[in-house]
Amino acid sequence: MPVPRPKRKFIVLAAAACAAVLAIVLGVTGFGGGGSPGVTYLDGTTNAVVYHVGHRPLAPDFTGTTLTGTPLHFYSYRGKVVVLNFWGSWCTACREEAPTLSVLAEQERPKGVSFLGVDLEDTTANAMAFIKNHDIDYPSVGDPSDTITLSFSSVVPISSTPTTLVIDRTGHIAGAVFGQITYSELTAMIATVSSGGAA
Amino acid sequence: MPNVALGHVSNDFMIAALIIYSLAVLAFAGDFAFGRPKRSAVTSRAQVPERADALAAVGASATASGVSGSAVSGTSGVPAASAVSGVSGAVVSGAGAGGSVPDSMPPVALPPLRAILAAGEWVRAGMALSTAGVLAHALAVITRGFAVHRAPWGNMYEFVTALTCFAAIFFLWVMIRYRAWALGVFVIGAVVVVLGLAETLIYTAAGNLVPALQSYWLSIHVTAMTVSTGVFFVAAVLGVVYLAVDHHNRRVAAGKAQPGNGIIARLPSLEQLDRLAYRTVVFGFPVWTFGVIAGAIWADEAWGRYWGWDPVETWAFITWVVYAAFLHARATAGWRGRRAHYVQLLGFATLSFNILVVQVFITGLHSYAGVG
Amino acid sequence: MTDLRPAPEVEEPPAIPASEAEFGVIDWLRWAWRQLTSMRIALILLFLLALGSVPGSMLPQEGGDEAGVIQYYKSHPALAPLLNHLGMFNVFGAPWFAAIYLLLFASLVGCVVPRTFKLAGSARTLPPRAPRNIGRLPHSASYQTALPPSSALAVAARVLGGHGFRLRTSGDGSAWLSAEKGYLREAGNLLFHLSLLGVLVSIALGGLFGYKADKLVVAGNAFSDTQSDLDEFYPGRLVTAADLAPFTIKLDSFSASYITSGPQLGQPAAFNAHVTYSAYPGGPKRTDDIQVNHPLSVDGVKVYLIGHGYAPVFKVTEANGQVVYDGATPFIAAASGNFLSQGVVKVPDASPEQLGFSGVFVPTAVYAGGTLASIFPAADRPVVSLIAYGGNLGMNSGPTQSVYQLDMAGLKQLAAQPHLLAPGQTWTLPGGKGAITFVGYQQWASLTITHDPGQLPALLFGMGALGGLLLSFLVRRRRVFVRVTAPGPDAGLGSGPGPGSAPGSGPGSVVRFGGLARTDASGGFEAEFASLAAELRAAHEQQAPQQETGD
Repeated sequence: MPVPRPKRKFIVLAAAACAAVLAIVLGVTGFGGGGSPGVTYLDGTTNAVVYHVGHRPLAPDFTGTTLTGTPLHFYSYRGKVVVLNFWGSWCTACREEAPTLSVLAEQERPKGVSFLGVDLEDTTANAMAFIKNHDIDYPSVGDPSDTITLSFSSVVPISSTPTTLVIDRTGHIAGAVFGQITYSELTAMIATVSSGGAA
Repeated sequence: MPNVALGHVSNDFMIAALIIYSLAVLAFAGDFAFGRPKRSAVTSRAQVPERADALAAVGASATASGVSGSAVSGTSGVPAASAVSGVSGAVVSGAGAGGSVPDSMPPVALPPLRAILAAGEWVRAGMALSTAGVLAHALAVITRGFAVHRAPWGNMYEFVTALTCFAAIFFLWVMIRYRAWALGVFVIGAVVVVLGLAETLIYTAAGNLVPALQSYWLSIHVTAMTVSTGVFFVAAVLGVVYLAVDHHNRRVAAGKAQPGNGIIARLPSLEQLDRLAYRTVVFGFPVWTFGVIAGAIWADEAWGRYWGWDPVETWAFITWVVYAAFLHARATAGWRGRRAHYVQLLGFATLSFNILVVQVFITGLHSYAGVG
Repeated sequence: MTDLRPAPEVEEPPAIPASEAEFGVIDWLRWAWRQLTSMRIALILLFLLALGSVPGSMLPQEGGDEAGVIQYYKSHPALAPLLNHLGMFNVFGAPWFAAIYLLLFASLVGCVVPRTFKLAGSARTLPPRAPRNIGRLPHSASYQTALPPSSALAVAARVLGGHGFRLRTSGDGSAWLSAEKGYLREAGNLLFHLSLLGVLVSIALGGLFGYKADKLVVAGNAFSDTQSDLDEFYPGRLVTAADLAPFTIKLDSFSASYITSGPQLGQPAAFNAHVTYSAYPGGPKRTDDIQVNHPLSVDGVKVYLIGHGYAPVFKVTEANGQVVYDGATPFIAAASGNFLSQGVVKVPDASPEQLGFSGVFVPTAVYAGGTLASIFPAADRPVVSLIAYGGNLGMNSGPTQSVYQLDMAGLKQLAAQPHLLAPGQTWTLPGGKGAITFVGYQQWASLTITHDPGQLPALLFGMGALGGLLLSFLVRRRRVFVRVTAPGPDAGLGSGPGPGSAPGSGPGSVVRFGGLARTDASGGFEAEFASLAAELRAAHEQQAPQQETGD
């Protein structure tokens, strides 16, 4: 059988076919994501994140009504460090972290740190029962249309409940825990943000 | 609210169609037994002179009037050379050496009605009864549509009655256009069997559709599937006839059977059958493709995704792939002829499996068969 | 140098240096490529594709029927792990299935692209010369005409040109004409196959950049399109939560109507979800009615009404009257029909102990022999039957629970019998645990949100495939040839005119007309040829001078 030299057209065609195949395979099988600059994942997981100064997204403003019926304007917290916790009475991890949050709120209040809750997918009665049961004495606003979650989702990837954000005095999000908090994690994060530096 | 009275009228027309079709089958069978002993003329509209001298024997007058009854029935129609029409541009030898007749025009065939009249009383009866049967069947489907205030293919019974109607209409056209009444016994017979089974086993009274099916896409998607299933049904019957004739021919070639004057001798040649079946699939395949696309559009409207590998969707895809394989097989050496028709019948088997088994027994979003 | 051996049947290969004499890697690749792009392999791959799809329709698939997969594991404990290993519970995402269609498309591309070049090339080249012996073509005709050869040829050119044939006339004096038509057939064929490739790419596009999400919303409530608020979220490979369209939807009301008489009593007649929505936070509010077959389209995303049900409203109070639960609880319709629905109520913040209720909501209740049943899907006579539990719901720690099921491990039943409640009635629980009131009911709708950027391209490519298919089936590539000779002594032999026969050597000329179809697997060219022949002859007769030349 004659042995011809490989033609350029064949090589080009083969290369194009391989490129197309690769693109399609990517679409169908797998693809990995990466990190981004200015963001540190603590403990090697994407669960707890610290945003360094200069890379901190601005927390969007919102207004709402607290569970007790008082109107609340988020930007009134400007100038303080705020721990913003997204929760629901139906959420197991929220119930598990509630005692920690309650204790930490008490502990950090003298240092000028405010805690604020955003209650999701709950009725007022259920939420109030939760608050009472777990001795939460910081206010929570209801988010019946998830609009607060929606506006925060555009700046940080809120993917599940609970989520806790630590917001610095200038109103920028300095740290986030996507999931259940631990005492040490949150204490350290609050300390870092309060001191004005980044880890 | 369905119109119950019209529903009964529709059913009456359906029974009438069944009876008339059965009589048509008997008439076509009668043609085999008692009809004119010449080879049935399945031809295309224009005869190609197989040999110039053969035409000369028919008479130079063939060109004067352009019409000659005996010219139509004398030759078998398809010259061997056309089987190798894939040769590009080269001169093909075959159609006789150096025709010395200065005037040889391809003769024009008889108009269909005259051909039917010339074919004998049994064929006349068979064609008349087939036409009447198609009319009754169509009326049955139409009145059913008026009875339920929507396109009459919303459940299994309606689907089967409608597809057999499309099959019968399509085949009636084939018989007229290609003079294929020799195949009437088989195709109309198959229609009788399927329609009879539908009437006895899966009859459902006229009723409304569940809201999930109330969309104009119903008309478009299910219509296309019904029509193409009807057409593939015809192709499948033709494929079976092809395989039977081919089997007989091979037995004759092996010396195990006589090439007699029986039914098979009265059927069109293997090539003609093959072409007829191929053309039928060629007609049905784009309609099926369109039906699948329309189904995807409807699925997107109703379920939020245009393709989700629902069992019925999957089997419609399988059917499409197998018929595509049939079309490719005819272009592949070693796969033409018998093997290609196995593929075509496999395609119809997957189609039938989809209608009879998958839609009924495998739960999915498509379970609207309404059976039982 | 003369060689007395018979000519070799196979072409001798050119002299090659010894180092290239082996069949190298490139050559193997080339051989493999030739095999892959052959029709035979395409056929085999098509069969494999069809065969490979069969298990995907018979076995439960992970994408749409996770519950079925779990059930299969339970009923086939030995077979299920093996099937899983083979990818049988995710056939259409399995690597082996991908291999089949990717190979098929590679074969397709390898066939189609060279043919595209060839088609482009053939569009520029003229039809071939007319063969000398037209009588040997599959279809041929001949007749005499009174016109001289040059005019006869001109008439033929006019007639064929009028039918859209591409013409080539003889340069020399031999008076012939070639005509070709039907290039669109190959173009249609290529369009069809390339469109299939386009469909595949569109599907991949959707798989990368599209997403699907589910949300159950009770009438009167609202939700936004954020990952934490959706019940289920299936993102494409490159989709992150930030890609979700930022709309908010409020389900103002949901209505379902059912057939109240006739043979289809109880069948659903219509569903309607009336919503108010905004495409982005702070955006203008619009209203819409989402129905089956009528999705809402917002910001490139479609919202579909998939299902609905009842959410009975309960109020649970502690013994001291403190309200610890108040809200609508979605119940799911059971298989028994007529929207008899089941659900649970979890009250984790009740004291002294957590409370749980397992309930049945019956929209139109009858008591048949002591059993509670629903005879009509509309809530004409709603009744709730509850079983009460107290203890530990298991919600304070551990994995997330289903909202439709109670974890019975830490619970014990508070009362022996289920308790029936009509709307407005209260059941005081034994042991001072509190009370539960069946306040009323709401309806819920389940919505599916889909975003698929490949959807429109897939549709366009699908239509392209259909168009290409029709073109390739309807159009035939065919060639016809005309030779006109003077009627001389040798004119009847069917061979072309020799250089000696001069035009006008006799009255009129003999026209020989022949044709063939390049791919005429279905026949039908004969009819066209016959009609062309008749038309040509008629045209010649029309142009002929007055005197008759006989036959």
